[in-house]
Amino acid sequence: MNFKYFTEILPPEAVLLSEESKRVYECDALSAHRVMPACVVLPDSVEQVQAILSYCHSNDIPVVARGAGTGLSGGAMPHSEGVLLSLAKFNKIVEIDPIQRSARVQPGVRNLAISEAVKSFGLYYAPDPSSQIACTIGGNVAENSGGVHCLKYGLTVHNILQLKIVTIEGELITIGSHALDSAGYDLLALLTGSEGMLGVVVEVTVKLIPKAPFSRVLLAAFDDIEKAGSAVAGVIANGIIPAGFEMMDKAGVRAVEDFVHAGYPIDAEAILLCEIDGTEEEVQAGLKEVERLLNQYGAIDVRVAQDEAESELFWAGRKAAFPAAGRIAPDYYCMDGTIPRKHLAEVLAGINALSEKYKLDVINVFHAGDGNLHPLILYDVAVPGELKRTEAFGSEILQLCIAMGGTITGEHGVGIEKINEMCIQFSDDELEQFHAVKEAFDRKGLLNPGKAVPTLNRCAEFGAMHVHGGKDKFPELERY
Amino acid sequence: MKEKFNSIKEQVLNAVEQCEPLKIVGGNSKAFLGRTTTGALVDVSTYSGVISYEPTELFITARAGTLLSDINTTLSENGQMLAFDPPNVTDKTTIGGVVATGLSGSRRPYSGSVRDYILGIRCINGLGKDLSFGGQVMKNVAGYDLSRLMTGAFGTLGIILEVSLKVVPTPETEITCCDSMTKEKALATMRGLSAQAIPISASCYDGEVLYVRLSGNENSVKATSKKIDLDKEEQSQNYWDELRDYKAPIFNTDINTWRISIPTTINLGIGDDPYLVDWGGGLYWLNSERPAKEIFDLARDAGGSAMLFRGTVQDQEIFQPLSKGLLSLHKGLKKAFDPHGILNPGKMYASL
Repeated sequence: MNFKYFTEILPPEAVLLSEESKRVYECDALSAHRVMPACVVLPDSVEQVQAILSYCHSNDIPVVARGAGTGLSGGAMPHSEGVLLSLAKFNKIVEIDPIQRSARVQPGVRNLAISEAVKSFGLYYAPDPSSQIACTIGGNVAENSGGVHCLKYGLTVHNILQLKIVTIEGELITIGSHALDSAGYDLLALLTGSEGMLGVVVEVTVKLIPKAPFSRVLLAAFDDIEKAGSAVAGVIANGIIPAGFEMMDKAGVRAVEDFVHAGYPIDAEAILLCEIDGTEEEVQAGLKEVERLLNQYGAIDVRVAQDEAESELFWAGRKAAFPAAGRIAPDYYCMDGTIPRKHLAEVLAGINALSEKYKLDVINVFHAGDGNLHPLILYDVAVPGELKRTEAFGSEILQLCIAMGGTITGEHGVGIEKINEMCIQFSDDELEQFHAVKEAFDRKGLLNPGKAVPTLNRCAEFGAMHVHGGKDKFPELERY
Repeated sequence: MKEKFNSIKEQVLNAVEQCEPLKIVGGNSKAFLGRTTTGALVDVSTYSGVISYEPTELFITARAGTLLSDINTTLSENGQMLAFDPPNVTDKTTIGGVVATGLSGSRRPYSGSVRDYILGIRCINGLGKDLSFGGQVMKNVAGYDLSRLMTGAFGTLGIILEVSLKVVPTPETEITCCDSMTKEKALATMRGLSAQAIPISASCYDGEVLYVRLSGNENSVKATSKKIDLDKEEQSQNYWDELRDYKAPIFNTDINTWRISIPTTINLGIGDDPYLVDWGGGLYWLNSERPAKEIFDLARDAGGSAMLFRGTVQDQEIFQPLSKGLLSLHKGLKKAFDPHGILNPGKMYASL
């Protein structure tokens, strides 16, 4: 393939063709899947992006856009015959409007950098994925990223006002506006979470939120995971929406406590972390009520952080869950299903049964407030066959989530990772509707081919092994 | 209900065969909205009833014909509500109509819009296919977000038959504060209050008086109401209900009523026409006989958009005209959902 055109419109260092220079782009954070892209381009202007896309469109070259590459579902995995379009150079905050409470930023700006830049105005950008130090806002839009505070503050889709995108034909289009409502269909919602399949985001206007003047974290221990689940439901049923509401199972607590010494009770079957924010009056009243409810639901120990430092210590444990998993196993595989919370105990029992079946340990951390599960399967890629077993284990967890009325992905996206499970969650008619939408934006199917939505052929092959069980009875449940 | 569902599906399939447009109607309480269209009537109002409501999971799933008032009652019995203040225009207003029109009330700038609370939709597209998108859980990024795309699409992409919505706890206390002031001062006050982490749930200015509603924990609301420098008014529920349900004086007129959404930082110059500013300065209701083009230009120059809410204009779009690029994407999407152009054709824009 000839990429000479790119060297004409971009400086030499912005076009990577040698294997050595392209290696770093081979995969995103789903590192088990690697593909060497044919070419990597690093434009730094919207006009360059337009020219690149327009050229790819004319010459039928696949394009995969990439932010920081922290995605966990392989959404930024390159195409072997395509262009990997890095937006890393789009790293400027264009404008901060403290009165309107918004910021116009380029897609390569890191999530946390936005909050840091607006801190002096008493504002912040709410979605806080665990990778927020590194992940970029463009990637957040592509994946509709969440974080630990989305129960109260929403996902990316709730926190952006306007996007500028370049279509595969190279046309620059503004979607949404700086007003709260915009004319026409809600393309802002459609683009958010579309995994780079519909257009390339070149600018994002995010909403900023006034920082709550007061917040506190409370830590509760339970001797039974089902009790912990009921306690979460009880708090919410009593009209309290915590800013964050997290759960961790015993294996998680032990791994974390060995690592960061956050003072977690290691004998507990499950712990809950509950953060309340707002005015001081609101928080004090909320904490009192939550403490009462957790005790009522059978907590064996409830501790309210006495100050901000202790709040941070309680959080430190939760935030260290992934590195803690990395410390006790050579590799871990992070899953991302969401379930209605009432099925928590059943799903965790199912995961434990699968853990025995596959002979792989698992740690469960959980955004308990919104039902988003993150089981971490521990494995060793160096052991032959273990990665395959891990992926099969993961797939069964996702199918269990669907059977419980949930979804295969709460915030990580489908990418390449969960593409087969899409065949279970959606009917052929629904998948065809997705393809029709894709066609409205990208008739030739050049943007991020093979991701997010499986072809019906692929589903037919996958279906030979798995019965479509999304809306019917789950045929595999009796296995555990 | 299965029969009703199938009969709607059957109607779509027949319409496809005969290339005949359909006019989708719920309670028809907002018949004045959108462009005038013709077509065989699809009555969704009898496809009704709550399918599933679980207060602890914070969602409700209901058939599109379910009365909004029934949903409000069911939720309030459990200390919950819809967060976006959906207008209960008449006692016939249905939840399907709320979602199809995507109109939110005064809470919108502080707690979000209809689409922010949509979790999932079941619909029939223009090919008669029974499709479900999203679900009942808060976090779900599997597949394109087609349930939000259909919210506010005025039935042009699919016949919405079931919706799942996130619900929130009803605030413990509400207090409304108000004060007479100039427009400039009112806008500045609304901006200032909206920029603070205080339990504010609505702010609007009617041309004379600024109204600010505080909602939440009792201690917090009381403490905040002392801090903000406005007179207090206790009996205010009626005021917000009338504004939400389009019964405030600004809606009681024979002249055209425009709804203009703009950035809150703009002071929209509207001349002598009667107006009301809601959404902390972000939404103008305007009574004006000015030509549509003038209003659209005014909204566009302010970085926003307008729609003719009630009234008539000759041979004009009544929603803000779209840019060429956007319109082309809209047409592509319409074709993706409704290739024969039978679902509410022309309800939003002439070409959709």
